[in-house]
Amino acid sequence: MMDNFEKHIRENKDFFNDKKVDKNKMWDAISKELDATKPKKVIPLWRSTGFKIAASILLILGLLTIAGPFLLQPNNTSIETSYANKEVLDIEIHYKSLVEHQVKLVQEHPALSKEDKKEFLSFMQDLDDEYDELKIEMKKNLDNERILEALIGNYKKRIELIENLLKQINSSKKINEDYGYTL
Amino acid sequence: METIVQNTHKELVEKSKLGDRNSQYKLYELYVDAMYSVSMRMVGIKEDAEDVVQDSFIDAFKKINSFKYESSFGAWLKRIVINKSINHLKVKRIALTPIEDHEYHLKDETAEPIEKIDLIKVKLGIEKLPQGYKQIICLYLIEGYDHNEIGEILEISTSTSKSQYHRAKKKLIEIIKGL
Repeated sequence: MMDNFEKHIRENKDFFNDKKVDKNKMWDAISKELDATKPKKVIPLWRSTGFKIAASILLILGLLTIAGPFLLQPNNTSIETSYANKEVLDIEIHYKSLVEHQVKLVQEHPALSKEDKKEFLSFMQDLDDEYDELKIEMKKNLDNERILEALIGNYKKRIELIENLLKQINSSKKINEDYGYTL
Repeated sequence: METIVQNTHKELVEKSKLGDRNSQYKLYELYVDAMYSVSMRMVGIKEDAEDVVQDSFIDAFKKINSFKYESSFGAWLKRIVINKSINHLKVKRIALTPIEDHEYHLKDETAEPIEKIDLIKVKLGIEKLPQGYKQIICLYLIEGYDHNEIGEILEISTSTSKSQYHRAKKKLIEIIKGL
């Protein structure tokens, strides 16, 4: 329980806050110390001038890497290098070699009739045309993931087509050789 | 009125959190004298109190982001000043509470109430108190902490805080009567 003596002092506590300090002198010392430790403060990266410069350089370098070959060699016959970055080129080379290999297999296959080969090759031609269109689209819009996916899809379709064809050939062969075993 | 003050302070605190030196100065200006008075009561020496207050403001502004309005800014700042004052005394090896036989002082604090309390005499009386008594009286009567909080600040038990306070109060009343 607080008595009157305690209550009276607590109620008048401001009376005891009568000390004065040399404000300016102390503030100078405080702000000096705060300035010295300022780098600890979190500054958003995008606000710093250094970052802006670094980002600009990176952006220019990036653009040059992607668009450089196209800008520097406008008449170059190699279209691939002018529209795509390395990643796309790698993907393209991979699938192109796969498709070429399999087309060759189909063409040289003795069990296929000329008509089948012609039909197959016309399908392949359609897919080639589609691919060329996609490449033109890609030139307009480098970052479009959907086009990139469509390009890959196009190659996958070709491989699937060839694989199906080969499967057909092989299965028809098997039936002939296996004396009509069916499952 | 209090709400207006709180909001003004909140704005200053928020700007200070962003490192706005002008707002930091305004907060400093608002509280520096009160904080200096707090520290003077605790450490008793002008230069020491100035060092404590200066360090306290530096610390407060450095860690102002940890202030989440659980108390007023003044109360938060005062706790920093009090803790720094206590640490300062510890470093200087000044006894925080008298080591006298407080166990034998259980029932004799029949402090008769002072008829007419003269605040000037109270102030003089507090200044004349031995260091340990002075701290506990200030923490309880002027800073307004309860015995749990004082226990935390001085790292003593709540019951020790209570018994020390009663002895200190008795001594203070004795001094005031003799003035």
